[in-house]
Amino acid sequence: MSEATDLAERAGDRDPRIGLRAVAALRRLLEQLEAVQVRSARNQGWSWQEIAAELGVSRQAVHKKYGRH
Amino acid sequence: MFERFTKDARAVVEGAWGYAEQGGAGTVDAEHLLLALLDREGSRGSFALAVLGLAERREVVRDALREARRRAGITRAEADALAGLGIDVAQIVARVEEVHGVGAMSGDRGDRRWWGGRRPNFGRAAKDVLERALRVALARRDRHIGDEHLLLAFTVLPGVAGEVLADHGVTFEAVTRVCPPVRPARG
Repeated sequence: MSEATDLAERAGDRDPRIGLRAVAALRRLLEQLEAVQVRSARNQGWSWQEIAAELGVSRQAVHKKYGRH
Repeated sequence: MFERFTKDARAVVEGAWGYAEQGGAGTVDAEHLLLALLDREGSRGSFALAVLGLAERREVVRDALREARRRAGITRAEADALAGLGIDVAQIVARVEEVHGVGAMSGDRGDRRWWGGRRPNFGRAAKDVLERALRVALARRDRHIGDEHLLLAFTVLPGVAGEVLADHGVTFEAVTRVCPPVRPARG
């Protein structure tokens, strides 16, 4: 609890720990958001190629990450 | 490293797989390990939790873990760090859930077909717990790796499991106090 409050208070300063922690959390948030959107696109019949183009990655990359094995 | 795991520690690992599969999760996460640990009875870990008053608050802890999972596994400390950048995690989760349903950000798919029905792998955070449990056991000179070491590992690793435990007074020091190292007789 106190750690959270402390973090909030220092969010504006230059403690790299806060910034790095925010980046790491953001990355995880992003991963979940991507999974939600890819799944939604697949459910709507999008091809891996179309999804990859929107994400700006290769078809192989997106298929490897989310494709069925 | 698994050969040194006690029956109870192995049961936690198996139980975590069960929770991950049951929830349709793509990977076994640290939270699944803690859920499985909360189910144990008659083990050193469950003894420590009981002494620290968690036995009767297990449901509260489970709810807190589920809630955190809904927030993409973001801890309060992380949410605060993100708020410092102007990113409102609660709002993002609420918006996504409006469109994609409750629990959309949890990483739980529900339908197994999405993951091809394969058994979920251990995610990095869950592997970190197992590795840290090993190191904690070594540091205590315990010859076995039990569920009490898994519990100790949660308390020192960043993440939702440790944060929820700390909220209920389950810290490294507290667990060590009620569950001191086993010191085998010399010679």
